[in-house]
Amino acid sequence: MKALTANRLSDGEVVFWKDGTWVERLSEAQVFSDEAGAGEAEASARTQRTVVIDPYLIDLVDSAGFWAPVSYRERIRALGPTNHELHGKQAEGGGAVEALRQAHGAARSSGRVNLIRRK
Amino acid sequence: MPKLIRSTGGVFEEVEDTFVAIEDEAADPGGDILVSFSRLKGGGEALAARSHGRLGVRLEPEDEIEDLEGRLAGVALVALAFPKFRDGRPFTAARLLRTRLGFKGEIRAVGDVLRDQAGFMVRCGFDAFVPADGATASSWAEAAGRHSHVYQRAADARAPAFVERQGE
Amino acid sequence: MYRYDAIDRAVLADRTAEFRDQVRRRLAGELTEDQFKPLRLMNGLYLQLHAYMLRVAVPYGSLNPVQMRALADIARRFDRGYGHFTTRTNIQFNWVKLDDAPDILDALAAVDLHAIQTSGNCIRNVTADPYAGAAADELEDPRVWCEAIRQWSSLHPEFSFLPRKFKIAVTASPHDRTAAKVHDIGLLLRRGRDGETGFEVIVGGGMGRTPYVGPTIRAYLPSDRLFSYLEAILRVYNRHGRRDNIYKARIKILVAALGAEAFAREVEAEWEKIGPEGDLPRAEIDRIGAAFTNPDFVADPASGDFEARRAAEPAFARFVRNNLKAHIRPGYGIVDISLKGIGETPGDISADQMDLVADLAERFGQGDIRSTHEQNLVLPHVRLEHVHEVWKALDAAGLATPNINLISDIIACPGLDYCALANARAICVAQDIARRFETPERAEAIGEFKIKISGCINACGHHHVGHIGILGVDKKGEEFYQLTLGGSGAEDAAVGKMLGPALPIDRVTDAVEAIVDAYLRERREGERFLDTLRRTGDAPFKEAVYAEAH
Repeated sequence: MKALTANRLSDGEVVFWKDGTWVERLSEAQVFSDEAGAGEAEASARTQRTVVIDPYLIDLVDSAGFWAPVSYRERIRALGPTNHELHGKQAEGGGAVEALRQAHGAARSSGRVNLIRRK
Repeated sequence: MPKLIRSTGGVFEEVEDTFVAIEDEAADPGGDILVSFSRLKGGGEALAARSHGRLGVRLEPEDEIEDLEGRLAGVALVALAFPKFRDGRPFTAARLLRTRLGFKGEIRAVGDVLRDQAGFMVRCGFDAFVPADGATASSWAEAAGRHSHVYQRAADARAPAFVERQGE
Repeated sequence: MYRYDAIDRAVLADRTAEFRDQVRRRLAGELTEDQFKPLRLMNGLYLQLHAYMLRVAVPYGSLNPVQMRALADIARRFDRGYGHFTTRTNIQFNWVKLDDAPDILDALAAVDLHAIQTSGNCIRNVTADPYAGAAADELEDPRVWCEAIRQWSSLHPEFSFLPRKFKIAVTASPHDRTAAKVHDIGLLLRRGRDGETGFEVIVGGGMGRTPYVGPTIRAYLPSDRLFSYLEAILRVYNRHGRRDNIYKARIKILVAALGAEAFAREVEAEWEKIGPEGDLPRAEIDRIGAAFTNPDFVADPASGDFEARRAAEPAFARFVRNNLKAHIRPGYGIVDISLKGIGETPGDISADQMDLVADLAERFGQGDIRSTHEQNLVLPHVRLEHVHEVWKALDAAGLATPNINLISDIIACPGLDYCALANARAICVAQDIARRFETPERAEAIGEFKIKISGCINACGHHHVGHIGILGVDKKGEEFYQLTLGGSGAEDAAVGKMLGPALPIDRVTDAVEAIVDAYLRERREGERFLDTLRRTGDAPFKEAVYAEAH
């Protein structure tokens, strides 16, 4: 499974593709099960040069019923910095955020967002 | 036809480019020609002696500007190439060409030339520009004149801040 | 401190107007991202993982209270109420919007601050001794030269598109607090035989992928010839530095490839051609210098109840031992403010804390604030009789951690929590180590101990010069950490040696503790960790870390 992500030009916010527009929550992102659909969306996103910067596809895995990025870096992008629990997207909490935090990614992941105690 | 902006006495104008770039092996078509540095070095005498048009030479960033010494007779134009606008070598080349080699002809910026560098280029001695970003003569002039004060001496006649302050 | 005149202000105003126009062109689609990126970087604006980050220059680490309050105001209005002091003595805001960036630059310019050349392949902010003008062992105030270099390097027409970034450090003390030998140029102020001052010139130090301690290319340069000499170095570099490979583009690679002597000959030949025409007139140096003569000192001020309090209050005594340094004037001290509270993010400071530091600087510190490359702040001129009150106020705000130069005074880059380049996190590693050595008695018993952590090979966390350096690497998608031992960024500069295989994140703190325990077993009377390591070699430490490896 894949999702399409980028940073929004005007404010740098991490955004995800949904049917030709962009949403801020990974849980609302369009999930692609086929390469062709994902590639098409990526090509279309690349033409939105005054909306987003550098769109690219990311791999997803299932975590507690939610889709979570396989890559550790992408989970931090989808959550916010691990040293400030109330900064970034993670601030709103809820099941989708918890699922991201607990995600033990398949191949490329350490699943250690929570390993180090946060103040 | 890419546009050519030339600065004469601080006035920027769009002008016609009369120079034609010719390949190293091509015959001299007459008129104003722009040749590579190696062609200039190879055919120095004949090129310097031509009477039916002006001579220009194009240098790439890796060419040593000092190698022009003794070869500038008859050269009306030196074009300095910016393969990428981040390549800063032509700034040094232009400055040395003006201040150390005493070149009085046209120094032209060609290649990836953006208005955001106009001020730096003018200060280093460039007086002609082939912008790659669609800049017009007036937007180029605006960019080049953006800064009302400068901190350093360069190839232009502008008084740096430390000189302005002495006058106070 | 230097005060901007009308010319300096006009330069900032023109520059912010230029940037506002560049942002407008980008948003309107007139500039592509490829074209805009180098332009925004030259104004310190990065795109990081979660947002834009704006790096504001703190020129040679010097701020006044008005500027500090303006930074607090920006943190509240445009960010999330905090900022981050970096190893380049600058401050970064992590949650900036591109739309807001021109307004932030206007707010900065209103207090003579800017973000010019805090990124990009140009001459960056100059590093000065954070104790400049206050250090007991100082020859003369290096900030005079730093300010002159700031002006000379700002929007330099010839040297704004160098092969790679370029960093200069200036120090005037035998004890180097600038890491001068790992800068592109390190300038060490020296007294010449004629009694005049000059510089020992070091070129080609650096960290990153290929760390070098820079060689001296000129033992003594008369100070009035500094600017022609800098021009010569930069010109040789601009022409001959590599542009084909970003990892080989720093001047250190050119110096190493040519050899220090051949490089020096090139510079000297160019310098001869430039001549004194390239130097700054004495009048301008004197004008700048006059701004750094400090008229506000009192001769032999009373120290009040400083000694009595110190004797009576152990916590205050501990602060004095670790965070108060000798001042050049009797009755004064240099107060180090630790931004390394146990469990906090190294270098982070809240807007309220910024305001407090501004207040204290105004009331007790002659309006002078410094930032250090070790991500702390300094009040360089505090009368001893006021130190207790300053300490109380700092303590109430969580800024009095008595750990300067101790094991919990850890440098860490933002790492993968923020940075788009990082491979691994650095902040949480620093936090975990600091908690392990939380007990002040234990930290003091260990003594001087510098841990430096980078989240990638670019080495913003200076890991190469950490007594223990920790480098985050990505190993098949997992965060791993490579340890180096024996680095130093001080006058005995050295690049650390790798200890052994990289460790997973949950073994790093244990490994650090094992190294510390081995040091405590091995050390002889009076030895710092570095001294012991240099005597024993790394065998006992390797053994301690890897013996029990499973």
